Amino acid sequence: MLDAATPGTDKPRKLVEITDLKMHFPIRSGLLRRHTGDIKAVDGVTFDIYEGETLGLVGESGCGKSTCGRAILRLYEVTGGSVVIEGRDIAALGPEELRKTRPTMQMVFQDPQASLNPRMTVADIIGEPLNEHTTLSSKEKLARIYELMDQVGLNRAFANRYPHEFSGGQRQRIGIARALALNPKFIVCDEPIAALDVSIQAQVVNLLEDLQDKLGLTYLFISHDLSMVRHIADRVAVMYLGRIVELSPRDDLYEDPLHPYAKALLSAVPEPDPAHEAVRQRIILQGDVPSPANPPKGCNFCTRCPEVQPLCHQQDPDLIEVRPGRYVACHFVKPEKPTAGSTGGIEAKERNQQGERR
Amino acid sequence: MPDGAAPVLDVRDLKTVFRTRGGEVHAVNSVSFDLRPGELLGVVGESGSGKSVTMMSLIGLLPSPPAEVRDGEVILQGRDILRASPEELRTIRGAKIGFIFQDPMTSLNPVFTVGNQIMEPLRVHLGMTKAQAEVRAAELLDLVGIPDAKRRLKDYPHQFSGGMRQRVMIAIALACDPAVLIADEPTTALDVTIQAQILELVKELRKKLGMAIVWITHDLGVIAGIADRVMVMYGGQVVEQATVKELFGNPRHPYTRALLKTVPSLSGGRASRLQVIEGQPPILTSDPTACPFRMRCAYAFDRCARENPRRRPVGPGHDVACHWDPEPAHA
Repeated sequence: MLDAATPGTDKPRKLVEITDLKMHFPIRSGLLRRHTGDIKAVDGVTFDIYEGETLGLVGESGCGKSTCGRAILRLYEVTGGSVVIEGRDIAALGPEELRKTRPTMQMVFQDPQASLNPRMTVADIIGEPLNEHTTLSSKEKLARIYELMDQVGLNRAFANRYPHEFSGGQRQRIGIARALALNPKFIVCDEPIAALDVSIQAQVVNLLEDLQDKLGLTYLFISHDLSMVRHIADRVAVMYLGRIVELSPRDDLYEDPLHPYAKALLSAVPEPDPAHEAVRQRIILQGDVPSPANPPKGCNFCTRCPEVQPLCHQQDPDLIEVRPGRYVACHFVKPEKPTAGSTGGIEAKERNQQGERR
Repeated sequence: MPDGAAPVLDVRDLKTVFRTRGGEVHAVNSVSFDLRPGELLGVVGESGSGKSVTMMSLIGLLPSPPAEVRDGEVILQGRDILRASPEELRTIRGAKIGFIFQDPMTSLNPVFTVGNQIMEPLRVHLGMTKAQAEVRAAELLDLVGIPDAKRRLKDYPHQFSGGMRQRVMIAIALACDPAVLIADEPTTALDVTIQAQILELVKELRKKLGMAIVWITHDLGVIAGIADRVMVMYGGQVVEQATVKELFGNPRHPYTRALLKTVPSLSGGRASRLQVIEGQPPILTSDPTACPFRMRCAYAFDRCARENPRRRPVGPGHDVACHWDPEPAHA
């Protein structure tokens, strides 16, 4: 680890580079199950994730945010595009190489009830990745399992219990411990708190933040909870119908959203403050999200956009940098002025090939 | 809404117990509240706090066994409906009390058209003919903002989106012009932009129709925007009750305070760390002789373990069930 001596370095490098990622699911119909169309769940998504940051990925259900997260880890065979993690294109790796790459990237799932095998004990669940990817002796394995349980705040005495004996928040801790088992660098958190009660959500979010500080993790935090994303993320990408419509640093997005959808989405979130709620001007979007099998021509958002113009029905806007570090896909959000020399954020200086710590 | 008006719904000391193999679960413990005409009462609490079970108990919607409504009275327009016969209850449900459930997909019948399901209460409770009911059903769909209402009556639930289905549920609940509407997490399954549409619709309908609403949710933001008065539930009990302004501005119960702090906000300062309520919600297996929040409470003292606090008034229209006497938050 060359740069291990400079934690919290102020020249972050790109850990994950996603270019024009596409994930289409075929629609088959008729007696012969002929391929009659595609659900374009993720349709050309480009963004980078810097080392040590938390990138929030927000959007409404069906916008493709979870599919995007899964495609990045190649839990699906992607339709197109590339996902480069630490210099290797995950989307193009062969099965054996992919398997060897798995330890660097892990996932925490939404529903801890469904993502933990009910017939395995906690120790088995947390130890399974160790069996698969390491050659530790059973004694070493147990020591590692205990260490992980300590890290996520689970009592070691519960190592031989089954998932159903735990509460939702504790189950999510088991899922986190399993994700941490192989010392990953990059974790996709897919709605990790959506199934939990408010008072438990804060516990899990604090744990995720502590672990990030301690282990230097990089998160892609997928959520529909915009308030929680404001708390945890450094930068936030807003998705709509398979596309990113805005990608901005957190404070810029929440203080001054630029894309009409981002504006509407933020204005729709109710705030726990009656005085504020009474005077707040809401942008109420009309209608529903169109089907990703049949997205509208032109801009994806043109069917609901309050600021729609004729151009939007014809031409699809690109995601361009309109302010330093802020990317928006809208014909009518123009770059403020061409900033000389800016190439959009912080460039990687060196590339660290080392993947594992142990 | 007039403050002194007689309540449309008055619930006193409601107690509901579930009998399970592991013993009794005291899901609702001496819950009392009233609902005035035209008012929107928000009920906040985490899962398992008893908010849904309370409302289901009111109108006999819980399967018995295992559920047993053990005690209390529920006065709806001067009549105790807890002691009403099943036949009487049937004339009350849907006619005098409308219900909106969380998940519109599972609460609509997939094999009947939407029109059929809206017409059912009209024909059963109001004795309308099919033709009359059809006209009224179209009016109702139109009222809840579904375009092309007359044609859509012939559609099935799966042909509607989530937000539209919830509009259909609202239309069904409103069909007989009920005095009380109970909405159990009606927007929880919806996306925020769709939730905003539904909240806007409910505000409009209240202006037009003026029914009293009980709105169950765990989302404090929704409550802040829509409620007149709020009741906070924890461990099967009401721990605090106040007007919405008072509750958010001057919360008195340690649980309410912690709950308000633990939720990150969209504007204003951003805490570097979220406030946490340590521990887990209580398991309600024994008769509540102690404060249910004491294990997680930062202010708990010996009395909290000995005695379950009763609700006591701390201000106009504001009461709290806590032994601890805090300074007002805005002092």
